[in-house]
Amino acid sequence: MLNRRDFLKLIGLGGVSTGAGFVLKEAMEPPVAKLIPYLVPPEDTVPGVANWYAGLCTQCSAGCGVITKTMEGRAKKIEGNPLHPINRGKLCARGQAGLQVLYNPDRVKGPLKRVGKRGEGEFREVSWEEGLSILSGNLKDLTNRNEAGKLYLLTSALRGHLTSLLVSFMDSFGSSNYFQYELFNNSNLIYANSVTIGSGAIPDYDIANTRLLLSFGADFMGTWLSPVRYARSYGDMRQGRPGVRGRFVQIEPRLSMTGASADEWVPVRPGTEGILALSIAYLIVEERHYRGADAKRWMDMLKRYNPDEVAGEIDISVRKIGELAEEFVEGGPSLAIGGDNLASYDNGIGNLVAVNVLNYLAGSIGHKGGVLLNGKDKTFKRKSVPYAQLTKLGDSALEGDIETLILYNTNPLFTAPSGMKLGASLENIPLIVSLSSFMDETTGMADLILPAHTSLEDWGDDFADHGAGYSVATVMQPAVSPVFDTKGVGDVFLALAASLGPGFKKDFPWRSFGDFLKDAWKKIYRRNRGSGIKERSFEDFWSRLLAAGGWWTPSPKISGAVNLSVGKASSHIPSAAAGFDGDSDKFPFFLTVYSHSAFLDGRGANLPWLQEMPDPMTSVVWGTWVEMNPKTARHLSLKEGDMIRVESPYGEIHAPLYLYPGIRPDTVAVPIGQGHTSYGRYAKERGDNPLAILPPRVDTRTGALALNSTRVRVFKSTRSGKLVKMEGSARELGRGIVQTVSNKEFKKMGKEA
Amino acid sequence: MPGIIDRLSKRLKAYRTPGYYKKYDYHWTMVVDLDKCNGCAACVVACHAENNLPTVGKDECGKSRAFNWIRIERYVEGEYPDVKVKFIPIMCQHCDKARCELGCPVYATYHNQDGLNVQVYNRCVGTYTCATYCPYDVRRFNWFTYKWDEPLDQQLNPDVSVREMGVMEKCTFCIQRIRVAKDKAKDEEREIKDGDVQPACVQSCPTGAMVFGDLNDPNSSVSKLAKSRRTYRLLEKYNTEPSVIYLKRVMDGSSKGHEERHHV
Ligand code: SF4
Ligand code: SF4
Ligand code: SF4
Repeated sequence: MLNRRDFLKLIGLGGVSTGAGFVLKEAMEPPVAKLIPYLVPPEDTVPGVANWYAGLCTQCSAGCGVITKTMEGRAKKIEGNPLHPINRGKLCARGQAGLQVLYNPDRVKGPLKRVGKRGEGEFREVSWEEGLSILSGNLKDLTNRNEAGKLYLLTSALRGHLTSLLVSFMDSFGSSNYFQYELFNNSNLIYANSVTIGSGAIPDYDIANTRLLLSFGADFMGTWLSPVRYARSYGDMRQGRPGVRGRFVQIEPRLSMTGASADEWVPVRPGTEGILALSIAYLIVEERHYRGADAKRWMDMLKRYNPDEVAGEIDISVRKIGELAEEFVEGGPSLAIGGDNLASYDNGIGNLVAVNVLNYLAGSIGHKGGVLLNGKDKTFKRKSVPYAQLTKLGDSALEGDIETLILYNTNPLFTAPSGMKLGASLENIPLIVSLSSFMDETTGMADLILPAHTSLEDWGDDFADHGAGYSVATVMQPAVSPVFDTKGVGDVFLALAASLGPGFKKDFPWRSFGDFLKDAWKKIYRRNRGSGIKERSFEDFWSRLLAAGGWWTPSPKISGAVNLSVGKASSHIPSAAAGFDGDSDKFPFFLTVYSHSAFLDGRGANLPWLQEMPDPMTSVVWGTWVEMNPKTARHLSLKEGDMIRVESPYGEIHAPLYLYPGIRPDTVAVPIGQGHTSYGRYAKERGDNPLAILPPRVDTRTGALALNSTRVRVFKSTRSGKLVKMEGSARELGRGIVQTVSNKEFKKMGKEA
Repeated sequence: MPGIIDRLSKRLKAYRTPGYYKKYDYHWTMVVDLDKCNGCAACVVACHAENNLPTVGKDECGKSRAFNWIRIERYVEGEYPDVKVKFIPIMCQHCDKARCELGCPVYATYHNQDGLNVQVYNRCVGTYTCATYCPYDVRRFNWFTYKWDEPLDQQLNPDVSVREMGVMEKCTFCIQRIRVAKDKAKDEEREIKDGDVQPACVQSCPTGAMVFGDLNDPNSSVSKLAKSRRTYRLLEKYNTEPSVIYLKRVMDGSSKGHEERHHV
C-alpha cells in the first residue's frame, strides 16, 4: 500500500516526475538531431541530472514495476520500482536488458510494405499514412463484403486497458476473433486450481515463511510465475528468519537453475512427478497425518499410489518416498509447488492437481508458509488455453476463414511446435499485418508492418495476477521520445477507428491512447475513491499514480477452510505417467526443453547483454547446447563440445554437447530461445530451435501444449559448430572458494549466524 | 637519511595496517550471503548496464575477453545423482592490501581515501601487470576500442567514462553512485546514511544476497552482517584483506576442500 511517506520517499529518491516523458515528447526533437541539445531545456530536464520515470517491465508476464533513469532525454538504466509490491525494487536479468529492446539496432524503424514474395524479407519503406490507409482500405472492403468476422487479431497475453481497447475495436468492427497466444502461460495451473481449490486466481505461494519447500519442476527463480518476487521469498526463506532456515527439495529430471540452490535434488523419471506427489500423499493419509472424516475414502483412492507399487516407475527408492512424506508433515509449515516443467506433460493438469492434493492432505492450504488463496480474480477473463486458441486460428486460416490477420507482440512461428504446420496455414491468409517491433519469424511473413512503440515509449497499464498477494495496477508512461518512426499500438487502432467512418469514430473519440488510458482511469478513480491512492481531484490522483507507477492494495484472501473432495480430486489426478512420442527402442532418450532464464520463450535472444550473460548452469554464451549426463556421453563415446544431432520422430536439430551432471542419464535437455531464423543480428546463427522437433501433443484435458512429450535419439553430427563457455573447471579442486557450514553448525550458531 | 627512511616506512606501515580506515570517513564494504545467492546473473547484466561494459561477441568470449566486472562462478560437487551446486558472485574485492597496486608502474591503480581500489583510465598504459598480480582474476583489458551498434550507444551512462583500447578496467564498487550520494549528503550537510549508496549489482539482486554499505558505521547493515559467524574472505590466506565479505553457504555433505578457520 502506498502511503504518503513512501510516496515522498520515492520523489526524494530520484525526483520521479509525472508524465514528463510526454511533455518531453511534445517539447523536443530527439536530442541527436541537435548540436547542443539543451540550450533551452524543458522545465524538468537539467543536463547531468537524472529524471526517473515509473513504468512496467514487459519482458515477461510477472508484471514487475520499474523506474527508468533518463538523462538528456535518453533512457540510461532500468531499475526495479522500490514501492512496487511484486519486485520491491529488484529486477531480473531480462528486466535489466529491457533497455536493449528500446535501443535495439534491429528494430523495425518505420512502416514497411512487402515487395518480394511472402517470407522472403523484401520490403519497401512506406509512410504511416500509406501504411494505415492500406490496412483501413482492407478493413473497409471486409465490411462492404460483409466479411467483418474474417478479421483476426492475435496478440501476446496483454492484461491492461489496451486489451479493452482491442476488444471494443473488434466488437465494433464485428469480429469476435481476438486471440492471445503465449508459449509459457499459466492456463494449466489456473485450471488445476479452479477445479480443486475453487479459485482460478493464482495463489500466493508463501515460500518466505515455509519450513520445507517441495518444488516439483518449478523454476520459480528463473522463469515461473513471478521470478523476482519468488527469488526474494527464497532469500527470506533461507536467511530472513533469525535461527530458522527453510529446507528446499527440488524434484525434476533435469536440474534447473532454481533447483541448483536446493538442499536436495530428486531426479525422477520424466512424467512421473505427479505420481510421486500422490505417493507422498498416500503415506500422509496412511500414517494418519490427515484426520479428515473422509480419510478412509482418500486412502482407498490413493491406494494405487502406494510407494511399493509406483517407486519403480518413478525411479526412486521406496525409502526416499517415505522420507519425503515424513519431512513434509513434520513440524512447521510445508509447501509443495508445481511448475512449468510439470505442467508441460500431456498429463500436466493431473500433475498440478496432484500437487494440490498433497498440499491439501498435509494441511498446507490457507496457512502462513503454505498456499495462500487469493480471492476471485475479476480483473480479466481468460478464454480457452492459448495453445488451443492458436490451433483454432491455424484451422480457420486453413479453411480460408481469415481474410486479414493483425499480429502484435507474439511470434508463434518460433514458439509453436513445427508439427503444428502453422506456417503453411498462415500462407492462406490474404493479408497479414504485423504491429511488432522486431522482424521476428512471424512478422517476416507479414505483407505490411506497422511497427509499434516499445514499452519505454508508450502509455499503458497492467493488472498483474493476484499471486503477489496484492491487487496490483501498474501504469507505464513514455520515458523517452520514440527512437524510430513508430506508433503506439493503441494509437494505431484509434487511427484505424477514425478512418473507418463517422459511425465507427464516435465509439472511439480519443485523440490518443494516452487520452483513452486517462479516461479509463477516471472511471477507476470514481469507482475506487478511497482505495490505493487518495486524492481529492482526479488530476492529483493521476499525477501520483504516474509518479508511483501504479497502485496496489493487499488482495482479499479466501478465508475459511478449503474443501477438496475425493471425487473432484480423483477425476483429475494422473492415472499414468506422461506419454511420449517415439518408441523407446528407436528413441532411447527423453527430451526436456525448458524456458531459459535469459531468453524465456525466445524473445530475449536479440539482446546482446543476454546473449553474453553466461548461462547460470553451463556458463555457455552466444549459442545453444545439448545437455547430457557425462556417463551417457562416455557410453556413446561423445565428449564435450562435440556437435550432436538430436532426432525426434518430427525432425532433427544440431547443437554442441555440454556434459551436465544435473540430468538423468536417460534424458537430454535443450534450452528454448536460440535458433531464430529471423530476429536481428544478435539472434542470428545461434543454433537450432528445439521447438521445431516437438510433436503437436497437448494436455489431454485442457489442450495446453505439452512441451515434454517426445523421445529422441542422438548421434554425432557432421555439422560444425562451437561451444563457447566461460567456466574453467566446474570443480572447486580444494580451493575453498565457496565455503560452507553444515546445517548442524548453522543451528549451533543460532542468532549469531 | 635514516630518519627519512624510518619515517617513510612508518607511514607505509600505517598505510598498510588494518585500522587505516579509521582515519577516513567511509569504509565501503560489500557483504554477499552465499546462502541467498541463486546464481541468476541479474547482477551481471545490471553491471553491464550501469558501467558501459561492451559486449564482445562469441569469438572474443571464446578467448576469455568478455567484460564481466562481476561474474558468477558455479561449482559442482559429487556425481549423479548426488549432485550439489554452489554459486558465488565475484567482483573486484577492493583489497586493503591490493596486489594489483604493487605492480603498476604508473600508479594507474591506487587506493582512494575511502579505501576503494580505483583505476585511473587516463594513466593506464596497459602493461597488464595489475591483472597478472590480482589473485581474483577480476581485471579486464580493452584489446580493442569497442563500438556500440547504433542506437545502442544512446544507452551509455554519462556518469561513467567509456574506455578505449589499451586500458585496464574492473569493478569500481560503482564509484559514480558513491560520488552522487556524497554530493547529495554534502548539500544536505550530513554524512551518507546507510542505504544511500546501492551499486547496480546490489540494487538488482532479487534474493537480497548482496548488501553494500559503510563498515565504519557500526549501525550499517554491512556492519551487522559482518558480525555473523559465517563470514569469510576469498582466498584469505593471501592476506589481501578484501572489502568483500562472504557469508558461508549452509550445505550438508559439502566437501571441506578448505581449512576450517575461525570467523573474522
Ligand atoms: S520477472 Fe524479470 S522479466 Fe519478468 S517482469 Fe519481472 S523484471 Fe521483468
Ligand atoms: S581484487 Fe584484484 S583488482 Fe581488486 S583490489 Fe584486489 S588485487 Fe586489485
Ligand atoms: S559494484 Fe558496480 S562495478 Fe562492481 S560489480 Fe557491482 S555493479 Fe559492477
